[in-house]
Formats: sequence, structure tokens, C-alpha cells
Amino acid sequence: MALFLEQLLNGLATGSIYALVTLGLALVYGIMRILHVAHAAVYTIGAYVGLLFFNLTGSLLLAVLGSMAVCALVGVAIERFVYFPLLKYPPFVPLIASIAILLSVEELCRLIAGPQILTFNAKLPFPDFHLSGVTVTSTITAVYCITAAVLLLLWFITTKTELGLAMRAASQDMAVADAMGINSHLIVSVTFVIGSAIAAVAGILVGIYFNQVYPTMGAIPAYKTLALIVVGGLGSVPGAVVASLLLGMAETLLIGYANIPLPRDALAFIAMIGVLMWRSQGLLGSR
Amino acid sequence: MQLINSLLIVALVLGGSLGAAKAAETIKIGLLTPLTGFAAADGLSVKNSVDLAVEKVNKEGGLLGKKVELVPYDDRADAKDAVALAQKLIQQDRVVALVAGSYSMPTRAVAPLFQDEGIPLVAAYAIHPDVTKAGDFNFRNGFLGAVEGRGAAYTAVELLKAKKIALLTSDNDFGRTLAEGFNEYISRFAKGKAEVVIALTYPMSEKDFKPYLSKIKEGNPDVIFSSGYYFQTGPVLKQARELGMKSQIIGEEGADSPKTVEIAGDAAEGFVIVTNLNRDDKRPFVQEFLKDYESRFKIQPDMVGASAYDAFMIICDGIRRAKSTNGKAMRDAIAATKDYDGLTGVIKGFNKGEVVKEVQVQQVKGGRFRFLGVITDPALITP
Repeated sequence: MALFLEQLLNGLATGSIYALVTLGLALVYGIMRILHVAHAAVYTIGAYVGLLFFNLTGSLLLAVLGSMAVCALVGVAIERFVYFPLLKYPPFVPLIASIAILLSVEELCRLIAGPQILTFNAKLPFPDFHLSGVTVTSTITAVYCITAAVLLLLWFITTKTELGLAMRAASQDMAVADAMGINSHLIVSVTFVIGSAIAAVAGILVGIYFNQVYPTMGAIPAYKTLALIVVGGLGSVPGAVVASLLLGMAETLLIGYANIPLPRDALAFIAMIGVLMWRSQGLLGSR
Repeated sequence: MQLINSLLIVALVLGGSLGAAKAAETIKIGLLTPLTGFAAADGLSVKNSVDLAVEKVNKEGGLLGKKVELVPYDDRADAKDAVALAQKLIQQDRVVALVAGSYSMPTRAVAPLFQDEGIPLVAAYAIHPDVTKAGDFNFRNGFLGAVEGRGAAYTAVELLKAKKIALLTSDNDFGRTLAEGFNEYISRFAKGKAEVVIALTYPMSEKDFKPYLSKIKEGNPDVIFSSGYYFQTGPVLKQARELGMKSQIIGEEGADSPKTVEIAGDAAEGFVIVTNLNRDDKRPFVQEFLKDYESRFKIQPDMVGASAYDAFMIICDGIRRAKSTNGKAMRDAIAATKDYDGLTGVIKGFNKGEVVKEVQVQQVKGGRFRFLGVITDPALITP
């Protein structure tokens, strides 16, 4: 029982991390209908910039804020200079551009910071728990708290503010939203700012969680998050979060109890195939 | 017009022959190593070390009165890239030998190509058995997976007195062959003395080892043999300590990197590896290399680099003794290597292409790998 509980808590932490990375992607798809693969590049930049600021200032808070700001700028730049001009083409064109950005950023990080894995030795100020054989490490506590805070904030913005209302309107129909006096292009940019800032938090958190920052750290999230937003229901933010949490727990329990050397990443795609076959709108998506 | 044409032809012929003459002035040795991609840190270590070796050889007058020229290519630790680059090295660059400074998968893909062309290949640290199976032109300076696996098992049972052992294995060529060697030792030499209580495998891309470690924790082993690369074993060490596990963890060459210690931080203290580079080697040229490397590249040298350095030097030594760069003559000279003083120990010789040398056991003390023991039993170290 203790083992099961510990595995479940491990899985919840993994799922929380997936959720943080997937959020931005779900937001962007929801409003722009673009598979924003380069989101993983923003996440990588977030980790590197966070590490840079952390090493320069020694303050984790400044590192997080600085990295959020830089990533927000990068996100908006991608939206303004790459996606927006390509919107008039079929959807695979911005997708290809997005993949190109991801690869370029990987190589850029390698050229600037070197190919080695850099370590992110920051102490997260969170407690750890030991209860009758179950250990919840301080990093896991940190992952829970930060993810919960981000989710709460995002929920508040999207449901309780006028900005959120405008975002939902623009995601339903941009042309009509424009006609109602919403500057929908501005709303799209704001969405990128929010999604990219969350990616910065995710990048830093993952960097600290695994104590590794490296150029190709976005490679797996890049495709895994795609599967997750499909499973969650394309464009549905709550769906993406639920899919992420479920997947994290499913992966962990599978490793803990089945020990088949199936790459854990495969599970996301099995789930995606299942969803496409039996429930093509995804877990929480609507037709 | 005709005059100009014939002048042009003369110029071309002259230029061509000049070019050919120039090409023959150096002895070209190829190097395949991952300079980009997930294994780039290893590739950099290899490149740095071999560059030092090339400098050293050329400073001492080169080989057969000619300078040595290194032709390095980036194979991204990918078999497809490696094969294409191997063709280029053979057909275009016309290298006389190859230092295979890459992982098992690309190295076993290119080995048959060099075998077919009769060009000697010395693998630096790839551990898969197939690397030398292609034929007698293929040599290996690193340990065979089985040797290393047996060494790790010996370390667990004899040096660390483990009774209950857990295996945490990287699910690729590298991890599988290590686990085979480990299990072979346990079933042959440690029946009733020690047993493997739990064996788990994890996929290459794994970063989160907590699910595995939580499960291992239940078996309460004395020793965990965690095979994998530094970017896997480093997190294993860190996450095991976070989960409050006290088991001694041992690893192998893949974790022989200053990066392991950097990633694991304090959790690396006491971590034991079996490898081929002894940091406390008394021989002066070894200490000189370790010092030179660190002062020049601002990072501690590791086994990957030292093995590639040796692979290059073994080729040079072969060329010197063969007094030629003829493939067959070089092959025979390398095969006849005896008691060669390498960075990674004294190479007793090659047995069917496999190096025979002592296995080093190192332990992290004060954030650095230090001498813990050495495995000399021929039954264990002979491939």
C-alpha cells in the first residue's frame, strides 16, 4: 500500500510537470489552431535563461521572473514574425515553421551554452514529508505547489477577468470577436505571453527537478505534449491538464507494476490512438 | 585558343599531381564521434583528448617522417550518419585507420565497412560484442560489456560484500550487455553468496527514476547496480538519496564523467564505478595528461576521452612498428601489441580484437573519482 501511494504521488508529480508544459500548447491551439511545436523551444529557452539569471543573481525568484519575461518576448516574437504571416497558408506550413524554430533553438542553445548538460543547483524552499514508508521529497512538494498555483492563476484569468472573456471570445471566432470590438490580434499575443511565461516556469522547474539543463531537453516534450492535447481534446485547457495528470500517473504505475521496458513516451501515443479511434473529441473536448 | 587549352590542361595535371603529392605528405586518421546531439558532451571529450594526442605525436616528429592529420566527423551517435561518414572517410578522405570514438550502435554499423576495405579500426569505448565481430581489422580499447558487467558484479560481491543486489538497467545495447555480464558472474561465481533480488530496465530517454527506485526500495538491496550514462546515473543517485535510500550504488564507464558528480551533487559521495581510467595512476604521463587536460579544457578528463586518446595512440604505435600504413601490416602490428603503456592502463594485448587490461574500481570522494580497487583476475578481465 505504501508503495502504491508513493508511486501515485510520484506519478502525480510527473503529471503536474506534463501539465505545465502542455498548458501553453493547449492555450495557443485553442486560440490560433496552430500546433505550436516550438513551445518546447520556449521551454528550453526558459530553462537556460532561468539558469543564467540564477547564476548571475543567486536569486531563484529573480531567475523565474526574468525568464518569464524573456520567454514572453520570445513567444510574442514567434507569434508576430512567424505564425501570423503564415496564417493564410494551410496549417502544415506554420507547423513546419514551428518545427524549424524548435530545431534552430536547440542548435542555438548548443552553440551558445555548449553541448554539455548544465546543472541547476537551486534549492526549492519547500518541505519534504516522510509518513510511514511514504516519502514525498521537497522537489515533489515544490512541483505540486507551483503547478497548483499556476493552474489557479490561469483559471482565475480565463474565467474571472475581462481579458479571459476576450480570450474565450477570440478562440471561438476571431472574426466575430473583432466585430465586437475586441482587438483579437492583441488577445492572441497576450495568449502567447501567458503560455510562454508558463513554459519558462516549467523549464526552470524541470531543470531543477532533474538538475539538468541541456539543448535537447525540449525534444521529448515537443511531441509528447502534442499527444496530450489531442487526448485532452484539442484546444481544451482543462482537458490537457486532466490528460497530463492521468498520463503521469499511468506511466508511473505501469513502470512500478508491469516493468515492461516500453518507452514511457509510447503510452502517450497509445492513449492518443485510442482517443482518436473511440472519442475523437478527446477527454474534455467538445464537438 | 589551343595554346590556352593545353596550358590549362598542363596546369590542371600539375595542380592535380601537386595536390596528390601534398595529400601523401600527411598520414590521415579518421575520427567518428558525436559532436552534436544527446551525446555531444562525450564527443567533445573525445575530440579534446584526441587533439592532445595528435599534437603530442606531431611534436615528437610525427609518424614515418610525416605529420599526422586527424579527420574528425560528427556522427551524432547515430548509425545512419555514421555509415555515410564512414563511406566518406574511406572513399574521399582515404584515411589509413579509424578511431571509432562513438557509441555502440554507430560503431557496430561502421565496423564491417572498414573490415571490407582492410582499414584498421580501433573502438575507443563502445562496448557491444558485435563491434569486433566483423573481422580481424576491428579492435577495441574499451572493455567488452561482459567484462565490465563481470567487474561490476565482482565489485558488488567481493569488494562491497553485497548479499542482496538490485539491477537498474538502461534498455539499449549498452545496458543489456552489461546486465548479461553481471548476471553471468552471479550465476558462475556467487551462487548462494549473493543474489539479484530485483531487476528493472528503463528506456533510454528516461529522466524520472522515482517509480523504479520506489520499487527497488521495497526489495531493500545492499547494492544497486545502475547501468547507464552519466545523464541517467546522475539523476538515479540524486533521486535515490531524495527518497531516503541508503543502498550503495555502483555504476560503470557510462557514469565515468565529472558530470555525474555535478548532476548528483552531494548524493554522488561514495558512488562506485568500474572503469578503465585510474585517476590515482602513479605513472607520470597519466598524471601529466590529467593535469594538462583540466588546465586546458577547464573540465575534469573522463574515461571516454582517455580511451579515445589510447585508441589513437594504439594506431600510431601500430604504424610505427609496421613501418608502413599498409592496412594488413598495421593490422598485424596492432594485433601484436604487447604491454603497451596506455592512459587507461597497461594493455597486455588484444585477444580476438578485444583489449586485455586491468579493470579499475573508482569511488567518488570529495567530488572526484579516486582509486578504490583494481580487478586483475584473468578469469574476469579476459574477454
